[in-house]
Formats: sequence, C-alpha cells, structure tokens
Amino acid sequence: MIRRGFQAVIRLGHHRVLPGAPHVLPRLNRTSAFGSSTDSLVSRFCLEKTDLKDYALPNASWCPDMLNLYQEFLEKTKTDGWIKLPSFKSNRDHIQGLKLPFGLAATSDKSDWRIFTRCLQVEGQGYEYVIFFHPSKKKSICLFQPGPYLEGAPGFAHGGSLAAMMDETFSKTAYLAGEGLFTLSLNIRFKNLIPVGSLAVLNVDVEKIEDQKLYMSCIAQSRDQQRVYAKSSGVFLQLQLEEELSQ
Amino acid sequence: RSFSSEVMHMDLSLPNPSWSEDMRLLFDQFMKKSEDGSWKHLPSYKSKFTQETEDIKIYFPDEKLMKEKLSQAQLFPRSLEEGLGFEYAMFHNCVEDRTVCIFQGGPYLQGVPGFLHGGAIATMIDATLGTCAVVAIGVAMTASLNISFKRPIPLGSVVVINSQVDKVEGRKLFLSCNIRSVDEKTVYSEATSLFVKLDPKTRLT
Repeated sequence: MIRRGFQAVIRLGHHRVLPGAPHVLPRLNRTSAFGSSTDSLVSRFCLEKTDLKDYALPNASWCPDMLNLYQEFLEKTKTDGWIKLPSFKSNRDHIQGLKLPFGLAATSDKSDWRIFTRCLQVEGQGYEYVIFFHPSKKKSICLFQPGPYLEGAPGFAHGGSLAAMMDETFSKTAYLAGEGLFTLSLNIRFKNLIPVGSLAVLNVDVEKIEDQKLYMSCIAQSRDQQRVYAKSSGVFLQLQLEEELSQ
Repeated sequence: RSFSSEVMHMDLSLPNPSWSEDMRLLFDQFMKKSEDGSWKHLPSYKSKFTQETEDIKIYFPDEKLMKEKLSQAQLFPRSLEEGLGFEYAMFHNCVEDRTVCIFQGGPYLQGVPGFLHGGAIATMIDATLGTCAVVAIGVAMTASLNISFKRPIPLGSVVVINSQVDKVEGRKLFLSCNIRSVDEKTVYSEATSLFVKLDPKTRLT
C-alpha cells in the first residue's frame, strides 16, 4: 500500500474487492454506509472498563476557563447526547482486538510508542486537551490548552501545535463518524496566536462523507468566540480495521 | 526542571546515538556538500536565546513577562528527549535559495499505530517552511498551510523535506515543499504555504 499510495486504495475500495485481501466482514447494520455503526465504534473505542490511564481528565495545570467549560460539557454528556472521549497513551489502546488492513500492521509493536499529542508527560507542559463527541450530530469539540513546551513566538503556541491538535480532533471524529483512518489533506488558515496556558476551543463538523472520504471543517477560537485563532478543513480516508484473528 | 545554559546552547542538529544509519549517511552527505560553501548547516538549539530571539523582541513589548516565560519555554520540536521525538537537521542551499530538512520521527510521534502522526508531519513541515522563510526575509509567521498526504510515513524511518520559496509579494512569501524517501523514489507528502513578514509597526498582542 505504501508503494501504491492513498489514491490507489480509494480506487480499489470502490469495488470492495482487493487482490489477496481477506473476505470483507459483513456489515453489522446499515447506520453507516461503510461498515460498523457509530455506536459500536464508540463503545469499542471508549473501553469503559479499563485500567488504562485516561489523560483527558482535569489536572492542576488546567486554567479556570478550561475547567468551567469541561464541567459544562460533562453535564451535556448526561442530557444532550455528548460523549467524553477517553485519551490513552497510544492509539493501539483504543483499537484493542483490531488491526490495520492490507498488511499495514507493524510486525513488532513496541509498548513505549506514544500518540504524538500525549508525548509530553508532565502535566501542563505540552498538549492539555479533552474531546467531546456527539454521535448523531457528527460533531466534536476539543478543549485545548497549549503548554510552554509548545511555544513558537514568545508566549504563544507554535502554529504546528495547533495544526497537530486540529489533525488529532479530525482524526478521532473521522474514526467514530465513519471509520476514517488516515489524513489525506489538511488546509489551515491562521488568524491569531493562542497565548500559552490559555484555552482554545476547536469546533469540528463532518461536512460530508463521499467516495470513501470524510470531509470535515474546524474553527479554533477563544471561549467567548470573540477571537478566531484559525480555520481549517481536513479530509480523511475511510479504511475498515480488521479483527485480530490470533491472540 | 531548568537547564544549564550549556544544554540550552547545545546544537541539537548534530548526530546522536538515536540517529539511524540512513540519517547519519544523509547528514554526512550534506556536510560534505557544505564544504564548498554552497550549502550551510543550520544549528538548532533547545531554547531561543539566540539572535532570532533578539530580533523578535521588538514585537512583544512586555519584556519582563517574556523573560519569565522564556525560562520555561522550549523550542517545540526540541522538547522531547533524544530519539523519542523529532530528530532532524536543516541545511540551506545559498545558491538555489532552498532549505532541506532530514528528519527521523521517533516513537512518541505516533498516530495510526506504526506510522507518524499527521500533526507531527505538519509540525515539521511548518518548521522547515518557517526556517526557509526566515532565512529569506527575516522574522515571519505562518498565515496558511496546505498539506496533501500521499502515503503514511512509517515510525522511525528517515525522510527528506525539500522546501523552497516560490514567490515574494511585498511582505507575503509563498513557499512549497515535498517530503520524500531517502532514495527520492517515494513521495509521502506535498505542501504549499503562505508566510507573512512581521511589520515592526504592528504588535502581535
């Protein structure tokens, strides 16, 4: 696949028959055009009974704005259908029992691999964030507080760190909304700088799902929406994970 | 944690034990090319107590606040320990006005298991284009970034980011880059961007 690239995967995907690929799993239900329903993806992803540490929980480094908005959304998880997504050390923890198709799965998976947005382990140093997802509206909200190790211009978060936060929010949204797996494109327009240690709210919407691709948009702004930090769009490739047959 | 000034001023764009053989070979090749002066190796430090920081200070009037924050801050791609995150070195071609970055992504930059996170790739693209812009016109900031991902980059592999200035319009700088394998046969990503030169008359806050 690496030789052929994403475009080839999309062409082959249209026919749902891939040379040498295992038999495609039957659809569980018809809620999503692609395969698994959003509900089954969410429950498998969230792993309610687990010993794994959830990094998307308040800690001493969170500013008051972040704590307040977090509480607001926590209330909405009880009444309005929002779900707080857990954030584990590695994406592999989120997809236990599943593996990448087309022989993409790494032959040796080292346990010290970490997801990029949780690379800085000391509280408050790097990415402090939590994502809330709404399954039926296909929307996400990410509360993001960049730490001093994400600095670019003095006192402000590096453009690359916001790009990474947007990609990560797109990534989780794409996966749960329609088994989106790989980023195909990212287009970001930066407007204002985010002060280090302050809260940025990222609103992500799924615009459409078409031709094995998920199209999403994002606005990153201050809590009162008075200051827009950046706007972006992202396209992800749908790719169904396979069950791991041997244990 | 505070670092001694020695550590802060250590050039991190030099080989260390975490560099794979591919990375070292590539580095040596570029250092050889630098011997006649057509290429130049760009040093990279953990902190920003460099000439660049002095230049950028005029845009941030609150100097005391800045000093406090600077003592904690670290240059983003240099904040992880050796081999775990971004291992890279940048070279500038003075004749052709382009910047090349050799990059090895470590285990803490994972996205899809076994591959580099799109956001980590975006970070390196922004860093390389930013360096290319600063060398060309001085302090500049990213206005937009447009990245097309062609193939996923395996974690731990070495890639080459080739960036160049396409066009200059007043304070606007249009740059582009591509990310290729060491043998140049595989294209992983392509990107275009707009950077804007900072105007000393306007403040950023």
